[in-house]
Amino acid sequence: MYTRLPAPYGSLINREIGVQFEFENKTVNGFEGDTIASALLANQQWLLSRSFKYHRPRGALTMAGQDANTMVQLPSNPNALADKELIKEGMQVSGQNYTGSLENDRGALLGLFSRFLPVGFYYKAFFKPRGMWEKWASLIRKKAGLGVIDQQLKSPYYDKQYKFYDVVIIGGGPAGMQAAIDAAVDNCEVLLVDENPSLGGSLNYARFDAAGTLGKLLRTELLSALQANSNITVMTNAVCNGWFADNWLPIICGNRLYKVRATQTILCTGALEQPALFHNNDLPGVVMSSAAQRLVHLYGVKPGSAAVILTGNNDGYGTALDLLDAGVAIQAIIDLRANPDYDEVAKAAIARGIKVKTGCAVYSAHSKKEVHVASVEVRNIIGQGICGNDREIINCDLLCMSVGYTPAYQLACQAGGQLSYDDQSAIFTLNNCPETLQLAGSVNSLWHIDAVLAEARRTAAIATNALGFTQVAVGEVIPKGSISPNHPWPIFAHPKGKEFVDYDEDLTIADIVNATGDGYEHIQLVKRYSTCGMGPSQGRHSALAAARIVAAATHRTVADTGVTTARPPFSAEQLGHSAGRSFYPARRSNMHYRHLEAGAEMLQAGAWFRPAYYAQDNITRQDCINAEVTNVRNNVGLVDVSTLGGLEVRGPDAGEFLNRFYTFGFVKQPVGRARYALLTNEAGVVIDDGVACRFGDNHYYVTATTGGVDRVYQNMLKWNAQWRLNVDIANVTSAYCGVNIAGPNARLILEKVCTDIDLSSAAFPYMGVRSGTVTGIPARLIRVGFVGELGYEIHVPQQYGEALWDVLIEAGNEYAIKPFGIEAQRILRLEKGHIIIGQDTDAMSNPNEVQMSWAVSKKKPFFVGGRTLSELEKKPSLRSLVGFVVNDIESPIPQESHLILDGKHMTGRVTSCNYSPTLDKAIGLAYVSPTSAANGSTIVIRSSGGVLVNATVVDLPFYDPNTARQEL
Amino acid sequence: MATLDPTSVKRRSPLNQRHVTSHALFKEFGGNLLVGHYGDIKSIQEEYSQAQMLAICDLSTLPRLGFKGPGAPSWLETQKLKLPTLPNTAKCQHTGSLVAKLSDQEVLILSDIFALSNDVATLSHKAEIDHQNYDKQTYILPRGDSHCWLAVTGTQASEMFSKICGIDLRSHKFAHGDIAQTSVAKTNAVVIRNDLGSTPGFYILSDISGVEFLWDCLLDAMQEYGGCPVGVSALQRLIKSS
Repeated sequence: MYTRLPAPYGSLINREIGVQFEFENKTVNGFEGDTIASALLANQQWLLSRSFKYHRPRGALTMAGQDANTMVQLPSNPNALADKELIKEGMQVSGQNYTGSLENDRGALLGLFSRFLPVGFYYKAFFKPRGMWEKWASLIRKKAGLGVIDQQLKSPYYDKQYKFYDVVIIGGGPAGMQAAIDAAVDNCEVLLVDENPSLGGSLNYARFDAAGTLGKLLRTELLSALQANSNITVMTNAVCNGWFADNWLPIICGNRLYKVRATQTILCTGALEQPALFHNNDLPGVVMSSAAQRLVHLYGVKPGSAAVILTGNNDGYGTALDLLDAGVAIQAIIDLRANPDYDEVAKAAIARGIKVKTGCAVYSAHSKKEVHVASVEVRNIIGQGICGNDREIINCDLLCMSVGYTPAYQLACQAGGQLSYDDQSAIFTLNNCPETLQLAGSVNSLWHIDAVLAEARRTAAIATNALGFTQVAVGEVIPKGSISPNHPWPIFAHPKGKEFVDYDEDLTIADIVNATGDGYEHIQLVKRYSTCGMGPSQGRHSALAAARIVAAATHRTVADTGVTTARPPFSAEQLGHSAGRSFYPARRSNMHYRHLEAGAEMLQAGAWFRPAYYAQDNITRQDCINAEVTNVRNNVGLVDVSTLGGLEVRGPDAGEFLNRFYTFGFVKQPVGRARYALLTNEAGVVIDDGVACRFGDNHYYVTATTGGVDRVYQNMLKWNAQWRLNVDIANVTSAYCGVNIAGPNARLILEKVCTDIDLSSAAFPYMGVRSGTVTGIPARLIRVGFVGELGYEIHVPQQYGEALWDVLIEAGNEYAIKPFGIEAQRILRLEKGHIIIGQDTDAMSNPNEVQMSWAVSKKKPFFVGGRTLSELEKKPSLRSLVGFVVNDIESPIPQESHLILDGKHMTGRVTSCNYSPTLDKAIGLAYVSPTSAANGSTIVIRSSGGVLVNATVVDLPFYDPNTARQEL
Repeated sequence: MATLDPTSVKRRSPLNQRHVTSHALFKEFGGNLLVGHYGDIKSIQEEYSQAQMLAICDLSTLPRLGFKGPGAPSWLETQKLKLPTLPNTAKCQHTGSLVAKLSDQEVLILSDIFALSNDVATLSHKAEIDHQNYDKQTYILPRGDSHCWLAVTGTQASEMFSKICGIDLRSHKFAHGDIAQTSVAKTNAVVIRNDLGSTPGFYILSDISGVEFLWDCLLDAMQEYGGCPVGVSALQRLIKSS
């Protein structure tokens, strides 16, 4: 049977456009604007899913996306909220957490054993005998969790956006709308946020007057005032998922997370209707009163044919009127109050001849085929939570609960607000909110529409006064009414249990009481022990009831017991929202595309892209690398060194600064010369190295490692903040591109394109530096020998990098110049015995250990780490970095971090190792014990697969020990 | 319209590969090669309209220069530059150059986008003479090579920026001449509000080695608002038509 009501019912649906989708492989018809739940309910499909623990049938509860009852499976989205998710043509929807079929779930048999599965059962049952947990774990984990993840899903596009407003108002109900209108004075920029598709909140569905017209009229009036004010931005379908310091508000709308900064925030988040607790209160067809009203007014769905209203306030009477108007028979209103104080709406309902039973409660609900409510048992109340024996069975297919509300306090509490509760009046109060955050409406326990609007105006005035837009009198605090819609005790235990406190976790009154019985009396401990409030709805409908039950069980007041902490996020959010659009900054040298054109295989070193090697057709990676090495040794190669750090140190104290900063001496370094610069920290640990090039009396250009330059720069600034030397330090890494042209023929090529510098060995010796031009490109030339051949590093302004590469390749063509990558460079430097900081050093390496004591000046009074090094020198060294040659060329080549063994004992590790095409040997560097460090010592390396490899310690360097080649 | 070969000059923008792929027509301005407009895609007139709405333009090959040190501001004033009073503000010179004061001791000088002004070259030359020995606490910074220079223009620019930058760059909060030293798409950047005629404009100066990443991020962010790259001719027309 189709249960749509005629227009004007159904303000959110467009009856002109039908939408067809599938639920459990059955075709369902709905309208544009329908949620999955509203469309299913319109087709009388109440059973949506199964509960987490006992597989109990689950139907709509709030129709507001506030509960976990409506979680359904979409193809690529588990746990979608059926009462929020809009239907789309062809959408495939299914229920969750069932075995067999949704209607006949074999998992529901678990419910028969519920008495044997008390709270804390898992903690008590599965930990012994020892090792038993591992056996149970796989079974339990198979049953745990809801929904199925689509592991093939290609992540949709998520991103983030910053927004800035003077006033942000969370909640677009009457309070929020009124506050926005009043705040939008002068140039005050106002953002109004609401999680629903349209503004108005309860004005869209609740009954404010007997005639049922006030809500809609007021909404229309407020909406036109909003629309007329260009200062107001409205975001609907947007949820503010938390409050962070200084009014930083994460607002999710679609696939975007808005990071909103508000100078003033007004929370008009409203209140959440709470369920009553009685036997079988979770049956489909048992709904919040507001859910029934939402179905009728927002979606035009007639939620039943015969309804019972369980109420503890006058709002239930309004629901009765709405349902009556919609053609639903009201079987009875069951009023928990013995002596109700009726308002105009309640009186109107009574005048319609509805049967009212006061001082009574629904004691239990009963179902037809166990999937929908069919009748309720009503009993008289004889004490708090105690029913007498006067009973009446009333048939119905809809039970609406209207027993009270909790303020939507989550954001306010995250802001530091403290929630208090008056046990007598059952009224909540939020105190101690920051001065920049105001509360208006039912979140502030104001219920009458006039009070709500007045408070909204008042808070808006507070905000605009604080912002300086107005200076108006804000008036007195609007007093909370003496009558609360919250019934103090809508909880009725039943001998057969199943009065559910937490629908997410299938927790009953007995579970909460038993948790206190097990010694967990603090509400936070009860939460963790019982998992109450830890499910998807995060305690929105269980926190108050749990607090009341714990209070009673521990003989305290609810005020003393408190409620559990409400942390962000307020509602479930996708990981994509937190991640947003991924930003991975990448750095490239100006020669990047030349490398690609030459066939380079790129690798990423930090943010930099660097050529690993240049691939050639039908040649293996290793052979390509070996060929590059050989070409440098025998001919000439070109490598991009643009990623090297570059620092300008300039000023009268530049030499003194470097003298203090690095281990070597720099004050007397001649202009036109480079000097190796080793950097240690205060602990004497080697942390970087480079070359300091003196281009003038007061000017050094210092290189640093690719990965270390930022730290070196920061350290330089830090130390000079203390030393206050007359020096300027600038990180110019990106300002220069660099290449190293290396090999016996390097000079011949460079001479063709660099004519304003005498490149002869006598005029420009090893470790010399010169300024000049390369075919007109301004350049700094440094004669260094990292790869151990005649070589020149050429540093040019960044945007000339590609042209420099072109010039050198063209000039080198007659010598068959070839580019080489960092893999070849690593072998070349290894052959030369040069260490790489970070690879051949670790967080303990000092210069002595790595055979760098020659780079430490003992003549100068101070350098960073000098004091520690002098102390370390007094102690015997614990290890040494040595060179080694693998004895048997057929042995597997050890890799970095392979262990050096002395019998069963680890005595060191390999830091670098590779096949040397120049020497036709496997060579490497390793930390060994001092007893094994002597030339000729044999070391044993445990290689891949546990293979033991013998190697012999040799003096460094492996290649060209007299450095004749680089000094050509 | 004939185009110049971008490899015919030695000073090349790292974005040239992207420009070529987008059918850029290169043009020389004061000896610097820039994208005049993207020939096969839109006419200059269309790019002009685009620039009024939302566009990005690579100005990285135009001259610019930095100075820092306690002596830098006073020396620059002796060179007849009008420095802004406050840090993080920029001031246009009568030559068309833009002087941006990044701190009390750091100044950035940007050429006009027609490359008519000779300020940067003159200052560079003078500094090499006056501060050869780096003994007057005035230090030249190679901003022309350390930093890319991108222009983002149009009425939608600040909205687009809000997706990748945490600073409120809306016109009434970030006025013409304001500077933010901030993060754009997780990249350190100097953002200068410099309107071109009546069109809102922003200059972004950021580490040049990351400019391709930043360019792609900006294009991605502006796609939602219909933004796309334009050549410098469209930006020049924004100024001329004002």
